[in-house]
Amino acid sequence: MSRSQKITIWGLVWFSIITLSLPTLVVLGASLTAGNMVAFPPQGLSLQWYEKIALARDLQQAFLRSLIVAAICTAVAIPVGTLAGLALSRFRLRFTTAIQVYLLLPFTIPLIGSGIGLMLVFGQWHVLGSLWPVGIACAVINLPFIIWSVSSSAVLLDPDLELAAQSCGAGRVQTFFHVTLPAVMPGVITGSLLMFILAMNEFLVSLLLVDARIVTLPVLIYNSIRSIITPDLAAVSVVFIVIALAVIWLLDRLVGLEIFLKSK
Amino acid sequence: MSGVQQPAAVVAEGVDMDFGTGAAMAVKDAGFALGRGRFLTILGPSGSGKTTLLRMIAGFQTPTRGQILIGGKPADAVAPHRRSVGMVFQKLALFPHMTVAQNVAFPLKMRRFNPAEIAGRVERYLELVRLGGFGARRIHELSGGQQQRVAIARALVFEPELLLLDEPLAALDRKLREEMQLEFRRIQKELGVTTINVTHDQREALVVSDEIIVMDQGQIQQHAAPAEMYRRPANPFVAHFIGVSSFLKGRRSAAGIEVNGIDCAGQAVADLAPGVACLGAIRAEQIRIAPAGAPLPGCDTVVQGQVTDIVFEGERLLCFVTLPALAAEVQIYHHDPAGLDQLAKGASVSVGWTAGDLLIFAADKG
Ligand SMILES: Nc1ncnc2c1ncn2[C@@H]1O[C@H](COP(=O)(O)OP(=O)(O)OP(=O)(O)O)[C@@H](O)[C@H]1O
Ligand SMILES: [Mg+2]
Repeated sequence: MSRSQKITIWGLVWFSIITLSLPTLVVLGASLTAGNMVAFPPQGLSLQWYEKIALARDLQQAFLRSLIVAAICTAVAIPVGTLAGLALSRFRLRFTTAIQVYLLLPFTIPLIGSGIGLMLVFGQWHVLGSLWPVGIACAVINLPFIIWSVSSSAVLLDPDLELAAQSCGAGRVQTFFHVTLPAVMPGVITGSLLMFILAMNEFLVSLLLVDARIVTLPVLIYNSIRSIITPDLAAVSVVFIVIALAVIWLLDRLVGLEIFLKSK
Repeated sequence: MSGVQQPAAVVAEGVDMDFGTGAAMAVKDAGFALGRGRFLTILGPSGSGKTTLLRMIAGFQTPTRGQILIGGKPADAVAPHRRSVGMVFQKLALFPHMTVAQNVAFPLKMRRFNPAEIAGRVERYLELVRLGGFGARRIHELSGGQQQRVAIARALVFEPELLLLDEPLAALDRKLREEMQLEFRRIQKELGVTTINVTHDQREALVVSDEIIVMDQGQIQQHAAPAEMYRRPANPFVAHFIGVSSFLKGRRSAAGIEVNGIDCAGQAVADLAPGVACLGAIRAEQIRIAPAGAPLPGCDTVVQGQVTDIVFEGERLLCFVTLPALAAEVQIYHHDPAGLDQLAKGASVSVGWTAGDLLIFAADKG
C-alpha cells in the first residue's frame, strides 16, 4: 500500500469513528456538567447528576422494568429463535420466500405499524398494563435478528457431525443438546445479547403498550424530555451506553472464547 | 467363508439407490455377503457409488430397492442410534467442543456405561491407537493423523459389531497413510470386528483387506480376495483399475488372441467363440523385456518393439514400448536397480510373455 493510500484509509477510519461517536461524546460531556443546563462543552466537571439519578426512585423503577422487559424478551427469543434459525438453515422448507420476506421485516415495516398491531391484539386480550406483553412484543418484533444469528452459525455446522452423534448412540434429543446446540452456541449467544439490548432500548413499541404505572426507562426519558431537558437525562443516556458496551464486552468474551474453542 | 451356521455379518441383496435427480442410479443391484470378523474394502473411482453404499449400510440412507441385512436383521429396522455400528467419517466429524477423551467417551456416555468403566475404556482405546496421554487435548490441537486416530478410537470404543470407514486415510500423506493402513489391519485383527472400508486407493485395498469389492458406475464389478482380484480380474475394468495393465484388441483364436494378424498366446477368462472381438490384458510386471535379439526363455509369445519412454520409479523402471507388429503400446515394469541393461529411449527391444499372463476378455467393456 502506498503512503497516500494509507493516509486516505486512516483518514476515513478516523472520520467514521469520530462522526459515529460524536453523539456519545456530547452526551457524556453533558452528563458531567457542574451546571444546571444541558450544555456542551460542560460547565465544569462533577458527578452530581449521576448522584441524582442514582437516588431517583422513578428512574430506578423504570430501569428495573426495562431490565424485566429485556429479560422476558430474551427468555422467549432464545428457544423460539434457536429452533427457527436451525430449521431455516437445515430443512428445505416450503414458503422459503415468505420466510425470507419475514426476516426482512424489521427493515421494511415501520415499528409504529407493528406496535399498533400488537397494541390492538394485546388490548383485545385485556393484558395491557403488565410488563410481560411488552417483553413478548419486543421478542416478536426483533425475532428475525436472533434467527439470523443462529442460522448463520448453523450453516457452518457439518451435517455429518449429527450423524456421527447418532452412530455414537445419541438419540435425537441427546444429539441436539450434546452436538447441535454447542455448535450453534456462538449464534445463540450473539442473538440473545442482541435481543436483550434491543428490548432494553425499545422505545416506540413500549410507548404504545405501557401505561403511566409501568413506564420503561426509554419512555420515562421521553416523557421528561417533553417538559424540560436536564443533565440527569444525559447521565441516564450514559448508563444506557455503558450497558451496551458491557454487552459487547460480554459478547466478545463469550463468543470470542467459543470461536477460539472451535477453531481448527 | 463357510458361514452356514452363523448368518453373515452384512448381506446386501439387490440394492438400488436412485436419488431421483434424473441421473443414472448411484448404486445398481448391489449384492454381497460379508462374514463375521472380515475386512472388506469397497474400491472404485470417484462417483462410483461407494459412499452411497456405505451410508446405506450405516442406515443413513434407505435403499430405493432391495435390502441390507446386518446380523440377519434389516438395517433400517433399527434406529441409527440403536445399531451397533461404529463409523469413521470421511471428514472425521469429531466433536470440536469436546476434548479427545470426551470424544472417545461420548459413545459410552450415550450407552450409559458406568463412569469407572468409561474412564478405563477411554484410556485403553487411546492407548490402542497410540494416543495415550493425549486425552486432555482439544481436537484442534492434534495433527491430521492424530485426529484420524481419535475418530478410530471413538468408533471402536463401544466395541461395535460392525465398523464402517469412509476414506478415512484420504487426507494423509503417503507415509502416514501406509503406517495407518497397517495399524488398521493390526487393530482390526486384534478386536476381530467386521469392517467395511471405502477407498479409491488400490494399494490400500490390497494391503489391508480380506476381501475387495470393485465398483464402477454404481455396479459391483467383482468381489474377491486381494490376490485373486489381482491375478484373476473379472473384466477389463478391474484389470485396468488394479495395477498397471496394457490392452491388446483382437479376435479370439485357438492359441489366444489374434492381434493385427499375429497370433498371441493367452488365456480366456470365459468361453469365447473363435473369431469374436476380444480384449487381451496383461500386467506391466508380467511382460519381460530384453535388448533386441536377446533370448527370452520361457515366453510363449515374443515380439519386437521400440522403447518410447522410460520412467524411473526408484526400485524399478516403467518402460513404454510400441509394438508395430501388433499396432499397440504396452507398459512394462523392469527391475534393473543397477542400471546394467542399458535400456534407453529409442532402443530396439524384444518383449515377451507366457500364455497364462495374457488374460482374454470379451470386448464389451472397458
Ligand atoms: N445426496 C445425493 N443426491 C443426489 N445425488 C447424489 C447424492 N449423493 C451422491 N450422489 C450421486 O451418486 C453418485 C455416487 O456418489 P458417491 O458419493 O456414492 O460416490 P463415491 O464412489 O463415494 O465417490 P468419491 O470417491 O468421489 O467419494 C454420484 O454420481 C453422485 O453425484
Ligand atoms: Mg465417497
